[in-house]
Amino acid sequence: MEENDGITGQFLDAVEFRGVSRRDFLKYCGATAALLGLSELYVPKIAAAIEKASKRPPVVWLNFASDSGCTEALIKATYPGPADLVLDVLSIDYNETIMAAAGKQVDEILANSRKEGGYILVVEGGIPTKKGHGMIGGKEMLDVLKENAGPAVAILAVGSCATSGGVPAASPNPSQIIGVNEALKKLGISKSVVNLDLCPVNVEYLTAVIVNYLLLGKLPELDSYGRPLMFYSQTIHDNCERRAHFDAGRFVETFGSKEESLGYCLYKMGCKGPMTYSACPKVKYNSRISWCIGAGGPCIGCAEPGWTDKFAGFYNRLPGVKIPGLGGVEATADKIGAAAAVVTAAGIAVHAIGSAASGRIGGKDGGEK
Amino acid sequence: MQNDMKYEWNLAFRIDHWVRFLSIVMLVFTGFYIHWPFMSGGPGSFLMAWMRFFHFVCAYTLILGLVVRIYLAFNSRFSSDWKDFSITKNLAGVPDILGYYIFVKGSHKDYGRYNPLQALAYLAMAFMVIFVSLTGAALYKGSLFGFINAAGSFGWVSRMLGGESYVRIWHIFSMWIFIIFIIVHAYMSVLISASNKDKTLTSIFTGYKLKKSA
Ligand code: SF4
Ligand code: SF4
Repeated sequence: MEENDGITGQFLDAVEFRGVSRRDFLKYCGATAALLGLSELYVPKIAAAIEKASKRPPVVWLNFASDSGCTEALIKATYPGPADLVLDVLSIDYNETIMAAAGKQVDEILANSRKEGGYILVVEGGIPTKKGHGMIGGKEMLDVLKENAGPAVAILAVGSCATSGGVPAASPNPSQIIGVNEALKKLGISKSVVNLDLCPVNVEYLTAVIVNYLLLGKLPELDSYGRPLMFYSQTIHDNCERRAHFDAGRFVETFGSKEESLGYCLYKMGCKGPMTYSACPKVKYNSRISWCIGAGGPCIGCAEPGWTDKFAGFYNRLPGVKIPGLGGVEATADKIGAAAAVVTAAGIAVHAIGSAASGRIGGKDGGEK
Repeated sequence: MQNDMKYEWNLAFRIDHWVRFLSIVMLVFTGFYIHWPFMSGGPGSFLMAWMRFFHFVCAYTLILGLVVRIYLAFNSRFSSDWKDFSITKNLAGVPDILGYYIFVKGSHKDYGRYNPLQALAYLAMAFMVIFVSLTGAALYKGSLFGFINAAGSFGWVSRMLGGESYVRIWHIFSMWIFIIFIIVHAYMSVLISASNKDKTLTSIFTGYKLKKSA
């Protein structure tokens, strides 16, 4: 194995120079193989693919309306792990947030990438469609996307903002922010987009999709929302470490309680795990150290399209419902249903009194003629 | 005595009625628990797991109850009554019966087994069973009836309603419609028994209704 794992000494030197041991690197390749559903035999191939990619293709990373949390996740400050390395060797030609260049230079780099084409376009952030609400260097973000989407070989929308608007698109969405897929449709560009819904994106998902592309030359199989099935086919709830407490009916009722310290299920604290599809319980965050529910917070559903609005009230079971005709007044489904039942009961009481008063009950004749 | 009685419901109709009633009551109870667990389980308990189990069993029962009822409507040797549920015919009768119920008219026509409002309400509830089952199936993670992959076959329901949180909201609204239907249905049975004096209320237990003495 040592001899024929397909990685050149030169590449490993470079890897070790960046503080990642050969062992760590291979371990990462193994983990990626597992994520991609490939056997151990693929590990050397993955390593070789990554090495080959250290020349090409480059990645262009565009930032639109977001808080750059995904970039933050990418360069996470703990220690330079193998996942960062992959993105490192991929030569990210352009990333406004972390590149050293500025001004004219930046435009030149991007123009150059466009000329050469064949890059993987990673988009972070939603796209404002209201004029003047989101501009880079005097250009509308929508136009920037249009310009750079054309020459790309693959488009990855990373994070909830890029997939469906996310936090910046939350109601009332003053800048009319939309996701990349919708924006491309609006622009008349028909290119499939891989959506990596999550806030922020899980860097392991991102690198796995890229490695998958390098290795097999194609994008992974997607679900109906454009999310890779390998990460988005099971709910959080189905793999949650607190699931046994759920089945037993043991729930945290308030934070700071004994139940919380016992690690009970967070369902009643608004956990959206049962309606959220993502591999978070398995892949976790920050080099697999922990994740939302592991850290004691309920899942807020960030892996689902339409988050945040569709999961609003992070600590509520379900979002509120706008009552038609009452101008934005919201109530829960429970309250609306109960109110309707009470109104019905009151109506029945009135009708019963009416029936008695009119002699229908207890009178001689039935209603039928 | 038997002479003035009319056989209104045979055993099949009565059993189907009560099986569906019981399954709805169980579904509402377990559904409330699943939505907001109001009891907590101790060590070694499987409270939520049991609630969900019964919820699913009753859901299958409710669906099969509707299937049986539809079968009876077309194939019952006792009384295949599907013609009674014609939408156009019943809509035409609504002003008459509604006028009576809101005290505008003193009497209404004799409609036989179901008056127009009643027939339309029952038909609507059949569609509600279908709707509540579809939303339920969209929320189910597993294989329905043991062989239908729920996520793959009913994902369209979720997409149509705008995601799983909204599917849940529609599922809950449907439950309230069932609750309201049961309240109104029970009241109407009592009211009509009292005003027509024909033992409507007990007919769903005994099968017999009193003949009109006119
Ligand atoms: S904490 Fe959330 S995901 Fe985990 S079992 Fe409870 S409800 Fe499910
Ligand atoms: S556990 Fe839920 S809230 Fe946390 S990252 Fe995953 S989908 Fe988002």
